[in-house]
Amino acid sequence: MTLLDVLTIPKDDPIAFTFFTGYMAMMAASVFFFFERGNVEGKWKLSLLVSGLITFIAAVHYYYMRDYYLATGENPTALRYIDWTLTVPLMCVEFYLLTKAAGAKISLLWKLIAASVWMLVAGYIGEAFNPAGGSASHSVLWGVLSTIGYVYILYTAWFGEVAKLAEASNNAVVKRGVRTLAWFVLVGWAIYPIGYMCMPGGWLNTAFGWGSENVDLFYNIADAINKIGFGLVVYNIAISSGAKAQAA
Amino acid sequence: MTKATFVFISCVLLSLPLVLSAGQISIETQLLICTPFILILGIPHGAIDNTLYLRNNTISNTAFISSYLVLIAANIAIWIFLPALAYLIFLLLSAYHFGQSQFSHHFSKTSIAEQALFLFWGGSLLTGFVYFNHAEISSIINNNIEFSVFRNIHGLDLTLYLLVALSTLTLFLLGVLFVRKLIKLEAILMEILVLLLVMASFYLMPLLIGFSLYFIILHSFKVLREEYNFLKKEEITSSLFDFTKLIAPFTILSIFGILFLYGLIYFDFLGLSYGYGLLVIISSITLPHVFVMNRFYNLLSRKNLVETMS
Repeated sequence: MTLLDVLTIPKDDPIAFTFFTGYMAMMAASVFFFFERGNVEGKWKLSLLVSGLITFIAAVHYYYMRDYYLATGENPTALRYIDWTLTVPLMCVEFYLLTKAAGAKISLLWKLIAASVWMLVAGYIGEAFNPAGGSASHSVLWGVLSTIGYVYILYTAWFGEVAKLAEASNNAVVKRGVRTLAWFVLVGWAIYPIGYMCMPGGWLNTAFGWGSENVDLFYNIADAINKIGFGLVVYNIAISSGAKAQAA
Repeated sequence: MTKATFVFISCVLLSLPLVLSAGQISIETQLLICTPFILILGIPHGAIDNTLYLRNNTISNTAFISSYLVLIAANIAIWIFLPALAYLIFLLLSAYHFGQSQFSHHFSKTSIAEQALFLFWGGSLLTGFVYFNHAEISSIINNNIEFSVFRNIHGLDLTLYLLVALSTLTLFLLGVLFVRKLIKLEAILMEILVLLLVMASFYLMPLLIGFSLYFIILHSFKVLREEYNFLKKEEITSSLFDFTKLIAPFTILSIFGILFLYGLIYFDFLGLSYGYGLLVIISSITLPHVFVMNRFYNLLSRKNLVETMS
């Protein structure tokens, strides 16, 4: 018996649609990154592996989240945060790997991981322990606490250690790549709070009546942009850097 | 992204949920929240106009302060006899000044196109502020007889047309400057993002809090940083403490001046409302400040210091 024997995808359900496309896109991106890993210079292989791992872990979670959503119609909050707890620190690893050649220390990696875990744990408490019917004060408190972690990562990417190391690398490709990733953090990661504010008690939910089903819609869109986009930026750095080395 | 932009984005993200969940915030409470920040950052950014203007200039401090006071007096006179004209001058100069400080780190030289961009960007900002807070501003205008002269300027339809026209012109000029390779695409995207965020904060936040967030962080904090970095480079100040000492006298004087004028309003010597008095005071200190800052940014251009100041 296949999944579609017991579950149907409603034609007017964009969330189910994005769960399916998200799953396939993540899986396709993983295959791409794993295969392309063999075509880049040695120093970029680990970065490509991490990119592939990010999308592969997400693909597996999307496989389960898709089924969970179709079977229950509920937000797969726990699965979502398990996915993020693994993949977001891996995105921080990408920052570390890109700037390692310019002298990034392991402490940078731990600081970024700590900030990302802070951001996710606060977000998880805000969402998973939201009182029945929703509470604005609960949503605001944990939302603001989570934002502190985000602001720290944003600062590190634009002005802090990561930005300074990229500048010191004297490598135009790395500089451009790190700046592009910083844009992902600024714009791409900012889609997540829109989803968060759609949960019961969230501002978009109470002020504009945006239903809690939109939480997953925004999260799915943000995941596709950020996880695959992040990987593609890293891939582009690796390919451009290789081409530059060959030309020289 | 400048440091001021980063602080602005962070403050909007962190304060927005708190402000939105607080419900209605009275204008008095908004004033209580915003005043300390205006005193700490807003007023000081104009408190060293004399130091900046006298740099590479032959004019004496006394002559500068006299001219400054004459301009203020002239502006007050215009407010007394031609309030609509005074208000229009205030809006135009403020628009240009806000635009100039916003784009100060992008252009090493300013031609007509850049100057038009300053005016249109600032104009978009001010019309956006009025449009997104129209109900509150209309209520202030309708409740104070002195403001009746501005009623026509701030009609909802006219404000919307102006907002659309000025924003379109801003985008068009950014496009022109990009084609002429005077600004990078990344800088344009950042400026669009910032303008959208400013507009969102005007729309989502109460009148004074929304404007103060822009004025204190994106404008005053940025200008203060530029002033501090310039004076440090010129070896006039060597530390933040030195800089604080430099800005302290005129900051304190301005605060006492404002308190004195408010005393005059309180004891009804001037026959004005607080809101109108505040508007006249702000406009009068803005007028000479705009000219000083224009010269300051030209000085930065001449010394090739534009990109390193923000």
